[in-house]
Amino acid sequence: MLNICFVWCRILTNVRFLFVGVVMNDAVFRKLTLLGEGAKYDVSCSSSGTARVNMGNIGSASCAGICHSWTADGRCVSLLKVLLSNDCLYDCKYCVNRRSANVERCTFEPEELADLTIEFYKRNYIEGLFLSSAVFGSPDHTAEQMLRCLYILREVYGFYGYIHAKVIPGVSPELLSALGLVSDRLSVNIELPSEKSLDLLAPQKKPKAIFAPMRQITQTQTEQKTLKSAGNMARLRPEGLNVSIGDGSLDDARALMAKNFSNIGNEVRVQTTSLPDIRRKYKEKFAPAGQTTQMIVGASPESDMQIIKMSEALYRKFSMKRVYYSAYIPVTDAPELPSRLAPPPLKREHRLYQADWLLRFYGYTAGEIFTDDEPNLDYDLDPKVIWALRNLKYFPIEINRASEEELLRIPGIGNVSVYRIMRQRKIASVKYDDLKRMGVVLKRAKYFLTCSGKYFGNCGFDPVSIRAALAGPEGAQLSLFDVRNSQNELSL
Amino acid sequence: MNYLYDGSFEGFLTCVYEHYYTERADGIFPEGAYQLDMTVRAMSVLSDEVKVQKVSGAIVSKISKYDMERIYRVFRTNEPDKEMKLLRYIVLGFGVARSGRNGGSIRLLHGNQTVLDVQKAEQRIGFEVHRLCGLIRFSAVRVDHPSQFVATQSGSGNKGGVVESGMMVAHGGNEILYARIDPDNDVLEFLAEHFSDRYKRNPFIIHDTKRGKALVSFNREWFITDFSSGDLLVDTDSEQDYQRLWKLYHEIMATKERTNPKCQKNFMPVRYWKNLTELQTFNLG
Ligand code: SF4
Repeated sequence: MLNICFVWCRILTNVRFLFVGVVMNDAVFRKLTLLGEGAKYDVSCSSSGTARVNMGNIGSASCAGICHSWTADGRCVSLLKVLLSNDCLYDCKYCVNRRSANVERCTFEPEELADLTIEFYKRNYIEGLFLSSAVFGSPDHTAEQMLRCLYILREVYGFYGYIHAKVIPGVSPELLSALGLVSDRLSVNIELPSEKSLDLLAPQKKPKAIFAPMRQITQTQTEQKTLKSAGNMARLRPEGLNVSIGDGSLDDARALMAKNFSNIGNEVRVQTTSLPDIRRKYKEKFAPAGQTTQMIVGASPESDMQIIKMSEALYRKFSMKRVYYSAYIPVTDAPELPSRLAPPPLKREHRLYQADWLLRFYGYTAGEIFTDDEPNLDYDLDPKVIWALRNLKYFPIEINRASEEELLRIPGIGNVSVYRIMRQRKIASVKYDDLKRMGVVLKRAKYFLTCSGKYFGNCGFDPVSIRAALAGPEGAQLSLFDVRNSQNELSL
Repeated sequence: MNYLYDGSFEGFLTCVYEHYYTERADGIFPEGAYQLDMTVRAMSVLSDEVKVQKVSGAIVSKISKYDMERIYRVFRTNEPDKEMKLLRYIVLGFGVARSGRNGGSIRLLHGNQTVLDVQKAEQRIGFEVHRLCGLIRFSAVRVDHPSQFVATQSGSGNKGGVVESGMMVAHGGNEILYARIDPDNDVLEFLAEHFSDRYKRNPFIIHDTKRGKALVSFNREWFITDFSSGDLLVDTDSEQDYQRLWKLYHEIMATKERTNPKCQKNFMPVRYWKNLTELQTFNLG
């Protein structure tokens, strides 16, 4: 309790009220270069998940997420993604900013970064801010500075746009609560898919320091939901959860903010919402867009199965909104790491996202996607096709009779097509020619479906033939090889 | 019969009326775009308030309110021959309604070509609107002489009125935001709510240079007006600096190991580039 009070007092008294732009100098250009560079490997850029109108001065959030630009490597730019500092205490082996690396160090002033964010936002360059940081000073000092920047944005500029804050492992619960109240989304990076790899490559990051904030975020959100609908408490509260008092609980953070706001009343109110609005605003607004996390792929030896199982656990246990995968780009030569010349495993990253997609939107489990004999994804075909080939006994599926869940299992048919098929089925039967117009990728789907009893695949209905037909000209050789192999086995 | 109309939505609805009550339409064309065709008779149609009400009322009651809005959205597209595609859609809807079924159910016929044409065109404008929500770039400008431009409401809006640049500057604390666009479809109206909410304390102008009109908004109110005086606006002192910072940021965000211009162009077609700050070379300071 004392602790938060201390934190907020420090933050609030130190805020300089800057309504005129920070004087532009070369230092800002330099900092943006270094601190943007340092943050760019963080792949979570989505701005979706919250929708709200502008109750402050500037900004709104759109549920669908808006991309503002695309970089030369074809990635969406949605948020201003920067580090507050790259002056890191830690020495994670895979990181450009590790203590032992020889790089130029710098740190944004919270005011400076808030100003830059507003000026970018005003010009419609960005949808909001993604703020991360190296650990400078200590985890709590870092979080405090981040909080100050976000606080200025929200309360001095009345910014209602999107904010995603990265949580530094080991941060105190009080600061985490406060961060959650000014952010739309929080994320704590899991970094690596196993404790062993974490220990080897990021020795200062302890699993406990990563999972504790994750758990706190999940619990706070459950708590919030529970409180919203009285009477549901018992049902919604997961086992073992205790609503903590004085341990970063929301009420504490909220009460303190209210207290501090009234102290500085006039100054803050120059352009922003009044105190009651702030109270209302904060009522149920702890990280409304939930939490996400990120895992580095290819820096450590885990199999795809281990990675996807870890994701599955994260989705279940912490109600993660998303797990992001980042193909490791070599930054240094170290015996524990892949060679500097190794290309980033982009194909693998792509297939992992597909498998993840199956978990989240198609109702697959990690146990279905992998078998013990095949702990890695097939880089030639997507995991949905692989599952279908392995389970050909459920196919072909009849378009005009199958349930939604069954339709979703057909490769080449996505959620939108299923929706359209179900809708048309209510008033007319679906013909094969209609499927293409409904967005079905027939090239893949035709092997796995029938339409009013007719099958449209043009090869034998067995895994080997379908696989060969699907693999296309490039993969064809591989598949032929497979065919020959399996024939050999047969003749043996 | 070929019907020629003034290019307005009301004019189009009047043509639909004539299709039913005068003579079947072989084609419907905006007057300026019509190429004389000797084999088909042509007739100019003047927008008629009563006929417009009749047709729009019938669409809402026999088909649905949703479809009325959909028809309006598709009318704002640059879809080739959109008038006839819409007419076929309306005819289909009335036909279904006459057979005693719910006319609004036609939108479920995802496999029907007529429905598909309309659905596709609607998707395209919806997509462009969504895309522009991200791709519009504002510059902070000041207006040196308030009398230089005066915008008067001429089209739709959520509040009407006359705006002088001075009024906007008064609201925006010495600056207003100005953006140029050159969209495929006539999208200004569909951008209005998004931006006027987002920038409610920043007066702004989105100028459609292709159609010579603009969305003018301040204090949460907006309207569409004819506009051509964008050249009179002058950048604020720090504008170039922020543009350079943005361009710098955009460049460092690309990972050189992954360069993929095809992908970039796919998301951000080259025809939009001329209004994108980050892809200009002029201010590489
Ligand atoms: S904590 Fe580790 S990953 Fe984060 S900046 Fe420091 S060295 Fe890099």
